[in-house]
Amino acid sequence: MDIAYYPGCSLHASSLLYDVQSRRIFNEIGIYLKEIEDWNCCGAISAGKVDDLLAVAMPARNLGIAESAGFSEMMIPCSACYSRTLVAQKALDEAPALKENINAELSKKIRGKIKVSSILEVLLTAVVSGDLAEKITKKLKGLKPVCYYGCLLTRFPQTVSVPDDVENPQGMEKILKVLGVNAIDWSYKTDCCGASAAINDEETGLKLMASIMGDAVAREANCFVTTCHMCQMNMDAYQERFCKKYDIPQRLPVYFITELIGVAMGLSPGELQIDRHFVESTRLLKELNLV
Amino acid sequence: MTASALEFKPESANSLMKEVMERSGQNLTACYQCRRCAAGCPVGEETGFVTPDLLIRMVAFGDREQALNNQLVWKCVSCYTCGTRCPNDIQTARITETIKKMSKEAHLEALNHKVAHFHKSFTDAGLGRGRVNEMAFMTFYEIKNTITEIKKLNFNNIYKELKQQSKLGLSLHKLKRMHFGFQSAKGRKELKRLYKMQDKIRG
Ligand code: SF4
Ligand code: SF4
Repeated sequence: MDIAYYPGCSLHASSLLYDVQSRRIFNEIGIYLKEIEDWNCCGAISAGKVDDLLAVAMPARNLGIAESAGFSEMMIPCSACYSRTLVAQKALDEAPALKENINAELSKKIRGKIKVSSILEVLLTAVVSGDLAEKITKKLKGLKPVCYYGCLLTRFPQTVSVPDDVENPQGMEKILKVLGVNAIDWSYKTDCCGASAAINDEETGLKLMASIMGDAVAREANCFVTTCHMCQMNMDAYQERFCKKYDIPQRLPVYFITELIGVAMGLSPGELQIDRHFVESTRLLKELNLV
Repeated sequence: MTASALEFKPESANSLMKEVMERSGQNLTACYQCRRCAAGCPVGEETGFVTPDLLIRMVAFGDREQALNNQLVWKCVSCYTCGTRCPNDIQTARITETIKKMSKEAHLEALNHKVAHFHKSFTDAGLGRGRVNEMAFMTFYEIKNTITEIKKLNFNNIYKELKQQSKLGLSLHKLKRMHFGFQSAKGRKELKRLYKMQDKIRG
């Protein structure tokens, strides 16, 4: 099955590993990611704070491109891009005049109905169909992850329909079950890591991240699993600093869900680029004899 | 320390409320001060008592000065917890986003200039090339920060900031996560035209 794919800027830069892993594991499952042509930055959270029109127009152009190419569904792994695109689609739906104004300038017009999906939504269809289970060659015994969803995947500034529970989502837990893993229940699964606060309001960012880490450690988790590359980058790159600042002796790998699926499919850490984490992340997998 | 009482300013209450409601798209009059938003706000402890409910009250009371000049506006991380839990569907993040723009239009100094520079640099980078190039974007952002710090004569901050960012950059480079290639989208012209068109609409 072909599906439109919007990687977003970060997945072509510092979080390229997430792009590499996603393409690899979806290929295995038989879902082919077709990157849409000449896509632009969605504006992320910043555009909404700077300019209201851009916040809608930037994702709108990408929707037009995907629709014109004939796709009925577009997958967006980055939580920020996913959230912004979904919300822009809703805003356009509610304001026909705005949609008309924007369409007037776009070479590929928005029609309206393409389904915008998160990576979890698409993976869950493979859970239901059994296509994922079919490709799993080993169960990830000994892994004790907490599923970290973060905010952008679960909460939106407008009412949009999403398939998971906002306060206690279960998508990642369901996928991990297929890999033979029971995730640990915890209190911070949808808490915010601060996103760009790590860069522009460090004290706040480090404090938020330390609380998240603190709960994961208290529940005796041995790793995090996430789908958001900002959560991944923050909890990974700043872990040494917030742990030192808040006296937390433990260090935990922060895996993308795609990495764990890849390992369970028998792919190597090198192929999945798990060696590109800040916190050493292949050691645990070796200790548990998973790679 | 307790939160100081707000001053009711009937002469500005109407216009302030109207402007914030219109621009944010949020129905502030629906707020009945239950503080469910405050309970879940992750930055609530950092803002010196300004939780979403209080920000809404500042606006309703017409206290323009406090509404445009408080820590919540600059600390809000847009996590949308408040709005998801609000029984009246009020998204305070949309309010803080709106007030950031209003404070800029009023030429007020940002309470955290790094937040203001970050979002402006990011949006400019995304629009300018059609895609964000992390290195170029971070360079612009740090130049803006440095200029602000020089104006304030905070040379120590410049040193700390650059040291911190180069450390992060170096680790990214070691992990092969730094990318020097340049990405762009040709269709950015369309977005720039839209952006200009809006300037015209707003006059
Ligand atoms: S939760 Fe909603 S109604 Fe309650 S105080 Fe906050 S904004 Fe007002
Ligand atoms: S969106 Fe902003 S105001 Fe609302 S809970 Fe999050 S940080 Fe607090």
